[in-house]
Amino acid sequence: MGQQWKAPTSMKKLANGLTVVVSEDHSAPTFGICVSYGIGFRLEPEGRTGFAHLFEHLMFEGTPNAPKGVLDRVIEGGGGNNNGDTRYDFTEYIETAPISALDPLLWLEADRMKTLDFSPKNLDNQRQVVEEEVRVNVLNQPYGLFFGIDLPGKAFDTYPNAHNFYGEFKDLDAARIDDVQKFYEQYYTPGNAVLVIVGDVKPDDVYAKVEQYFAAIPSGPTRPKAQIDEPAQKAERRFSQTDKLAKVPALAIGYRMPPRHSSDALAGAVAGELLHNGQASRFYQALVKDKQVALSVDGGVNWPLGTPFEFNGPTLMTSFVVYPPNLKADQVIAAYDAAVKDLAEKGPTQDDIDRIVAKMRADLYGNLEIPISRASALSHAVLFDGTFDSVYQVPEDLAKVTPAQVKAFAAKYLVAGNRTIIDRVPAPAEAKAQGAAQ
Amino acid sequence: MKFLAISLSAVLCAGSTMAQKVSLPKDLPAYGPEAPLAAPAVKTTKLDNGLTVWLVSEPGFPKVALSVAVRGGFAADPADRPGISLLLANTIDQGTATRSAKQLAQDLQGAGGDLTAIPGKDSLIVSTNVLSSKLDKGLAAFADVVRNASFPDAEITLAKRNAADNLKQQESQPSFLAGRAMAKVLFGDNPYHVTSATQESITASTPADLRKIYAERFRPDQAVLVAVGDFQNDKMLADIKSRFDSWKAPSTPPVPAPVAVSAAPRHAVSIVRRPGSVQTTLQLGMFGPMRSDADYEAALVANAIYGGTFGSRLTTNIREDKGYTYSPFAVLRPYRAAGVLVTNADVRNEVTAPTFNEMTYELNRLVTTSPTPDELKQAERYLVGTEAIQLQSRDEVANELARLWVNGLPPEEIGVYGKKVAAISADDVNAAAKKYFPAARTAIIAVGEEKVIREAFAPFGIPVQVLP
Repeated sequence: MGQQWKAPTSMKKLANGLTVVVSEDHSAPTFGICVSYGIGFRLEPEGRTGFAHLFEHLMFEGTPNAPKGVLDRVIEGGGGNNNGDTRYDFTEYIETAPISALDPLLWLEADRMKTLDFSPKNLDNQRQVVEEEVRVNVLNQPYGLFFGIDLPGKAFDTYPNAHNFYGEFKDLDAARIDDVQKFYEQYYTPGNAVLVIVGDVKPDDVYAKVEQYFAAIPSGPTRPKAQIDEPAQKAERRFSQTDKLAKVPALAIGYRMPPRHSSDALAGAVAGELLHNGQASRFYQALVKDKQVALSVDGGVNWPLGTPFEFNGPTLMTSFVVYPPNLKADQVIAAYDAAVKDLAEKGPTQDDIDRIVAKMRADLYGNLEIPISRASALSHAVLFDGTFDSVYQVPEDLAKVTPAQVKAFAAKYLVAGNRTIIDRVPAPAEAKAQGAAQ
Repeated sequence: MKFLAISLSAVLCAGSTMAQKVSLPKDLPAYGPEAPLAAPAVKTTKLDNGLTVWLVSEPGFPKVALSVAVRGGFAADPADRPGISLLLANTIDQGTATRSAKQLAQDLQGAGGDLTAIPGKDSLIVSTNVLSSKLDKGLAAFADVVRNASFPDAEITLAKRNAADNLKQQESQPSFLAGRAMAKVLFGDNPYHVTSATQESITASTPADLRKIYAERFRPDQAVLVAVGDFQNDKMLADIKSRFDSWKAPSTPPVPAPVAVSAAPRHAVSIVRRPGSVQTTLQLGMFGPMRSDADYEAALVANAIYGGTFGSRLTTNIREDKGYTYSPFAVLRPYRAAGVLVTNADVRNEVTAPTFNEMTYELNRLVTTSPTPDELKQAERYLVGTEAIQLQSRDEVANELARLWVNGLPPEEIGVYGKKVAAISADDVNAAAKKYFPAARTAIIAVGEEKVIREAFAPFGIPVQVLP
């Protein structure tokens, strides 16, 4: 019934602790690189919200050897492109280009793993860029990512999981260049990094190149295991907010999920997709089509910041439901609850499971098709588990999930006492005018 | 599984040093030898009913991308239903003669797929991407959508409501307003001016309209089916025949070919009022080559040097040096009977005039100066590399082939594009620049605060009008 697929993939560790993964893909003369560091939002210091992401920007500001602009020039001149992402449990740096650019790009990744240009001017500059990014993506956007920032803030109780990961401006403003240096020395070390190269390469060649460019980087300090656990949730939490930019109200609903490696987690991932993935999903069919109490529904486990398999601490199954202004939130929640109850009481059919598991397999493979995103997925697995096996094994494990497991999961986790709801409604007209005048 | 992009550091970093001025570290290894992109081997067939079939067999990775392109898009919409192509695309999977919208969604999901339908000026492209082990199921649902869409009344009512809301939302976005205005100014009454629906056309559209237009455009003799991925060609062709052989072309004439346009527009500023705007969205648009023109690749390279890349002259000038804007861009958009070159920058109100001045300067500088060897090489490597990266995805191979067909080109073009780009000389760039890039050939759109825009353009002596 399934259709297993694996790309040839191998792994080595350098003496300084850097883990290197190589996966061959000869379908195009190109490659993708991902360097993931085991540092994300959860571990940024208190009083420095948003720092992990601010720091990510500084990784593009050059080094004493390769000043600002070199990386961009080498990538674009090599016919490629690059980016960086910060998430709860990692920060990653990704590049893709024709194979001719592999050597200079590996050299540049090694260079910024050795040192950075720790200049207060760069920090000030990127602080402004990040604050501008927050204005564009949060403050000046309808809904302001409340389903991704405010919801975990209300659903969790401890700083690592609950704080605003984009950063409070007072915290971003308070960041100093010695914070940058300290953070770099603590987390940007070979032992806290996984380097993955996917593409038109021979593994032995790549390992030799990596040895050449990265082996001399000192291993750096070891880190104590961080405390990121949450006390149990005791009752449903409900909040309401107003929104000066949104024209239409919306709900964010978040259920706390079991740990990634627990026996319930796979059933949870299946339930999340069964409820949210595409037009065939239960929420879309029930809320948008049948009852017409929603304009759109999005969500899933670990949504919107990753797949249901790429997190390493407390996370939520989140639903983001935009609903018509003539309805009250309770009417929408009643329809939502009916769909959840149906899953918890009747469970899915084997057909339902087969369909969604096929879709999840196709989505996961679609992600592995492209070298840069395969590199990214492999790096997260190795960072969390020390092995990339799960990347190829998850589709097989999903195929073994039974209707009874999904039913039991829904009955145990998708309950009111385990969830947080935020109802976000457009601000009344006079408040909007005030907002505009400020 | 859609993810939120949280950071674009490399794309957003402001005020970085001019890319071209940076000298490279002495220890940095040089680029290695270039590896040529192996063109996908396309097997072409025509079924008895006229359906063109292009197959690319790439066994191994267990997915198959399917695309069907049909002739007729926005430019073929009835004059009293402008933009109905979008409603057609959005509702094509909302039911067939034998499957409800839900059944279609479930059948595609069970094959690992989703349906995408995208209207262009000349075409509609419908595509999906399924597991090769579920190909039969996926192909059955896909063929049903292409052949038997039924546009049920209740689904169309719901889709019209959503379309009206979406249009309202879009009309608050300056990029949408600028694009719509540019098409109107360049194309006038030519049907190529249609870029979207209107509230009137949405209200007026009926399920019967959709069924009629679908019947006119979805016919085997005016369509291509592209499949790329994990299959053997013979088996795939047999499967396709079993699903499409009985599809019959109607005897009615096909959608008429679009009428070519390329006369330079009036060099004037057209204002789209957006009261309270803190930025001006500036667009300069002119006619360029079509995809099938001999100097298409030369114009692409010229555009990459002028404004189409991060290290381009325009980006270096107005973003890196002067900090007027975050994300300027310059693109060449080829249609079947016209090509359009557009430069866009969103700038804070007070630098509207200097930005326009620099755009004009860079356009004319491209016309009057030769690219340096370094600029030429950088631009060509960028274009060739970008193609190689894009074609990593089987979806993209299928869609690129479908687009070639729409533009009247053979599938072999996918393998020669990179070679053509790499062979472009400085003389070729100069010739394309002289032909297409003089600033006097541009029409100018400015979306924003009318007073700001009028004051900004007063010193230039260019006619200014306000669009309704």
